[in-house]
Amino acid sequence: MQQINILLASLPDGILLGFVYGLAAMGLTLIWGVMNVINLSHGPIIALGMFGTFFLFTRLNLNPYAGLIPVAIMGLLLGVLIYVIAVHRVINAPHLSSLLATFSVNMIIIGLGTAVLTTSPYNVDFSAGSFKLGSATLLGTRLIAALVAMLFTGGLYLFLYRTRPGKFIRAVANNRSAAELMGVPSTRILALSFGLGTMLAAVSGALIATFFPFNILSGGSYELKSFVIGVLGGLGNPIGALFGGLILGMIEGIIPAFLEQSWVPVIEFGLFVLILLVRPSGLFGAKK
Amino acid sequence: MAILEIKEVTSGYGDVQILWGSTLSLEKGKLTCLVGGNGVGKTTLLRTVMGLLRPWSGTILFEGRDVSKLPAYAKADMGLVLVPEGRQLFTDMSVYENLEMGATNQRARPNFAKNIERVYEMFPRLKERGGQKAGTLSGGEQQMLAVARGIMADPTVLIIDELSLGLAPVLVLQLFESLKLLREEGMTLLLVEQNVQLALAISDYGFVLAEGKTELEGPARQLIKNKHVRAAYLGL
Repeated sequence: MQQINILLASLPDGILLGFVYGLAAMGLTLIWGVMNVINLSHGPIIALGMFGTFFLFTRLNLNPYAGLIPVAIMGLLLGVLIYVIAVHRVINAPHLSSLLATFSVNMIIIGLGTAVLTTSPYNVDFSAGSFKLGSATLLGTRLIAALVAMLFTGGLYLFLYRTRPGKFIRAVANNRSAAELMGVPSTRILALSFGLGTMLAAVSGALIATFFPFNILSGGSYELKSFVIGVLGGLGNPIGALFGGLILGMIEGIIPAFLEQSWVPVIEFGLFVLILLVRPSGLFGAKK
Repeated sequence: MAILEIKEVTSGYGDVQILWGSTLSLEKGKLTCLVGGNGVGKTTLLRTVMGLLRPWSGTILFEGRDVSKLPAYAKADMGLVLVPEGRQLFTDMSVYENLEMGATNQRARPNFAKNIERVYEMFPRLKERGGQKAGTLSGGEQQMLAVARGIMADPTVLIIDELSLGLAPVLVLQLFESLKLLREEGMTLLLVEQNVQLALAISDYGFVLAEGKTELEGPARQLIKNKHVRAAYLGL
C-alpha cells in the first residue's frame, strides 16, 4: 500500500519530466537523423540553456518562460556557429572525426564554464505554485515545462512537415546529393538543422533550470539520458524521441516505489543495452 | 547553337582519375545520347558537370557561361537538371513532396501548377499515388517519379542517367515516348545509357565514351551504322 502511495506521488512527476527529457533527446536525434553526427556537445549546451534562464531571470528579471525565446534564439545561433566552425569540415569524414570535433566543443564549453561560473550549484528561485492530483502534488514549473515541451514538439513537427525549410531538412536527411541537385543549398540546411538541434537542447535546459539546481556539468546526465531515449525511440526519429522520453520519465517515476533511487541509472542503461541487443532500430523505428 | 559544352574535362575520386578528357556538346532542342560500357565514367562525367564533383581541369559552359566551379544547387537555378542514376528519390517523403522538392529552384517555383499538371498528364499513376511514400513505389513507378521530379525543376537541359536500367522493355519504350514529347516542347535532353541500341534509336546525336575519353561522336543514325560501334556495343 505504501508503495502504491509512493508510486502515485512519483509517477505523474516522472511523466512530466519525461516530456522535457524527450525534448532534449529530440535535439540529439534530429542532428543524428539529418547528418549522422553524434553531438557530444549536447550536454554543455543543455547547461548553457540553464544558465541562460538563470542570468535572464536574475539580472534582467525576465520571467523564465519569456526567457525561453532569447534562450532558443541563442541556442540556434550557437549551433549554427558550432556547425560552421567545428562540424562542417568533418561532415563527410568517418564518424570518429565528428565525435572528436563535437567532443572538443564539449570540453571548450565545460572548461570556459568552469572557469567563469565555477562548479558550485546555481538555482533559479522561481515558483509557479503547485496543485494536487489525487494524492500527488505537482509542481507548476514541471507542468508548464511539460506543456512547453509538447508545444515545441508540435512546432518541430509542423516545421518539418509543413514549411519549405523543414521539407528541405527532411530531403537533405533523406538524400543529400539529390537535394543538392534539386537546388537545395545543403550546407546551409545542415547548419540550420544543427542549430535546431542545439536550440532544443538549450530550451530543455532552460526548462529544467526552473525546478532543479544546476552547474555547468549538469547537462552531462541529460545527454546520457538523451542517448538512451534516442535508442529507445529510434535514432533520427524526433517523434519517437518524445515517446522515448515519456518511457524514461515513467521508469524514473516507478523505480523509487520499489528500489533505491541509485538503481535508476542501472535500470536505464540496462534497458539501453537491451534495446541495442534486441531491437537496435528502436521501439518506434529509426531513420532508414 | 550549343547550350551545354563540356571541353576536355578531367576528374575523379581522391587520387583515382576517372575522366581523361571528355568533350561533349549539346545542341539546343535536340535529344543527345552519351553511350558507353559499364565503368567508363559516364556517371562521373555527369557528377562533374552538375558540380557534385570538382573538375580537375577543362571547362563546362552552360548557355555560354563558365559553370565549372558552381555548386550543384546553383545549377538547378540556371535550368541544368540531372535525373540521377538509381533514381535517388526522397524515399521517406511522399510522392507529392518529391515533386515539390523537384520544384525547389527559383525558376521552377512560379511554374509549379503548370508543371505538376504536365507530369500528372504524362504519368497519371503519380497522381493516384500522391500521398504514398516514394520508397514504397514499384521500380517502374519510382523511375517515373524520378523523371517527373526532374521535369518539375523546369529544366532547359534535362540530363537522364540510365533511364532504362532494371525496367521492363514496355515501360522503357513508354518513358522514351515521354522524352520525345519533351523534346517537341523545346527541351534539350541528354540521355546517358548503357543500352546503346535503344539510346541511338531515339536520339538525334550521340557521343561514345570509352576509358574516360570521348571516343566517337556523330548523328545517331550514322553511329548506329558505324562498324566499331556495332562490334563493340551492339554485338553485331
